[in-house]
Amino acid sequence: MGTMRAMRLIWFVTWFNVRMLLTSEFFILTTFLTPLIFATLAFFLFKAGGATEGQTLLYVALGSGMMGVWSTTLFGCGGAIAWQRWEGTLELLVNAPSRYDYILAGQTFGAVVLGFYGIVATLAWGVLLFGMPLAATYPLILPISLAAAVLSLGALGMLIATTFVLYRHANALGNLLEYPIWLIAGLLVPIATLPFWVRPISWLLAPTWGMEAIRGAAIGTQAPWFAIAMCLVLAAVYYVAARVCLVYVIRKARRDATLSLQ
Amino acid sequence: MPATRQAAPDQARTDADHAIEAIDLVRTYRTHTGVVRRKPLEVHAVRGVSFHVRPGELFGLLGPNGAGKTTTIKMLITLLLPTSGTARVMGHDVVTETTEVRKRIGYVFGGDRGLYDRVSALDNLRYFAELYGVDPAQQKPRIEALLDLVGLTGREKEKVEGYSRGMRQRLHIARGLLHDPEVVFMDEPSIGLDPVGARELRQTVQSLVDAGKTVLLTTHYMFEADALCDRIAVINAGRIVALGTGDDLKRGVANRTIVEIETFGVAPDAVERLRNDRDVIAVNTEERDQSQILLVQSEHGLSITQRLLGLLGETRVGKVVAREPTLEDAYVDLIASTSETDDAARAAAVAG
Repeated sequence: MGTMRAMRLIWFVTWFNVRMLLTSEFFILTTFLTPLIFATLAFFLFKAGGATEGQTLLYVALGSGMMGVWSTTLFGCGGAIAWQRWEGTLELLVNAPSRYDYILAGQTFGAVVLGFYGIVATLAWGVLLFGMPLAATYPLILPISLAAAVLSLGALGMLIATTFVLYRHANALGNLLEYPIWLIAGLLVPIATLPFWVRPISWLLAPTWGMEAIRGAAIGTQAPWFAIAMCLVLAAVYYVAARVCLVYVIRKARRDATLSLQ
Repeated sequence: MPATRQAAPDQARTDADHAIEAIDLVRTYRTHTGVVRRKPLEVHAVRGVSFHVRPGELFGLLGPNGAGKTTTIKMLITLLLPTSGTARVMGHDVVTETTEVRKRIGYVFGGDRGLYDRVSALDNLRYFAELYGVDPAQQKPRIEALLDLVGLTGREKEKVEGYSRGMRQRLHIARGLLHDPEVVFMDEPSIGLDPVGARELRQTVQSLVDAGKTVLLTTHYMFEADALCDRIAVINAGRIVALGTGDDLKRGVANRTIVEIETFGVAPDAVERLRNDRDVIAVNTEERDQSQILLVQSEHGLSITQRLLGLLGETRVGKVVAREPTLEDAYVDLIASTSETDDAARAAAVAG
């Protein structure tokens, strides 16, 4: 399959998955409201702790938005596959002549792109309700940071989604991964406040570096380039790992006849 | 015993000319029973199926529920790995050359699943056209032609969740044909359709063959197989028990007469008495609203009718009719006799 054909396929699947997700009231509710609830709670928590500086509020807003992005990634990837399994379309997708890793990539990016609404929403929420100043330290780098974060989160979502293809009850894994990653990736509190032994785990996670890249460009906590580079490296590693896993997962699914199980 | 049953199910050849070849296909599902104390369980769904289908042929796989039809199809379309045996579609191995096989096949499963309900039929077809690698410039005319073929033109912008079962089934067919496959697999496509819908579907299937496609159709409707298929393989308990044209299969019961006896509240022991009669070859029972129709196969026509009625004892009897055997009788006889053989083999294995 040529590069243009592959790009077209990924784009088409992304667009289709965005449309499908937007037909789910549950998804709309969680994606569009949850980040605002997170942001409100976090603003009040930080204000109660005496943090009223504009930069701190921006730190909180971005963190809350990223929490929403992560939740949407998990739900969008896992939920979409669980839904396809239930509808009986999963085996059609896996059995299509097109490469399934491209299809899965498109589905995952559809969820992640929608999830990034959370960041926009929490920033607007902070400005409107909490008087948060909206000024990026490196405004030209911010779009690059956002793109790198989308890429790395999408690739991680794709890796996680391979388990959803194999196991019908993998949603439980998705739920299990939601809250710990919020903490470990430093979305709400800085990683520096976590126990030392947790930090290597943080470094392996896309949300950690995605958050660093976005905060670095927006607040200037640190130069964002290293975090952007880490996002790209991790995205490549996740993608290769996902492709390797998919070969095993699809073969196992064909052997165990699990694709059509509901 | 019909001649077709004595021969090997089909001499599996390895000619590249065959559109589909299955050679000793076996599929065993491994599962377990119990929750706390799990016991492994093996279900032998397909036990050595061999056949070939010629290009342009409409081949029927006929069998009761659980006979192994869907499992066989799923192995041929690369969805399942065979436990043993080999299969090729258009010369490509279904285990090692999956992409090549998938480019050349379309498949249609019966039932409600396999479509995106929350978007329109057009969106479904556009999406699958992309996944099936249809040239972007060809997608629009191809989709229009298929909508026309399956009679959904004008309804394509409606959400699939509002479609009737017949419309969904037609959409399944359009989806399966998007990339103009050379071989089409249809697994009980007429299941749940009303008579008009089923007739239209049969016309669509026939038009595919007229267009030069190879079609493998599974069904448990005898008349459908008889009306459509060039050749039919009867599958029971994971094995092909007969293979030939509809006439070949009927020939197995050609010298018989079917006596239909309408009864009301017939007891099982009365049916058993009929079965044990020296001149009776087989007895099958069809339940109707208030009655049971006993289908008694023998080679003696109506001459044994009085004796049969005597064996029914006090059973209330309605109409008694004699008729020529149909493909359905041949099929029922095949399934009943091979099931008995299987039961006997299982009993012998347990005793041994």
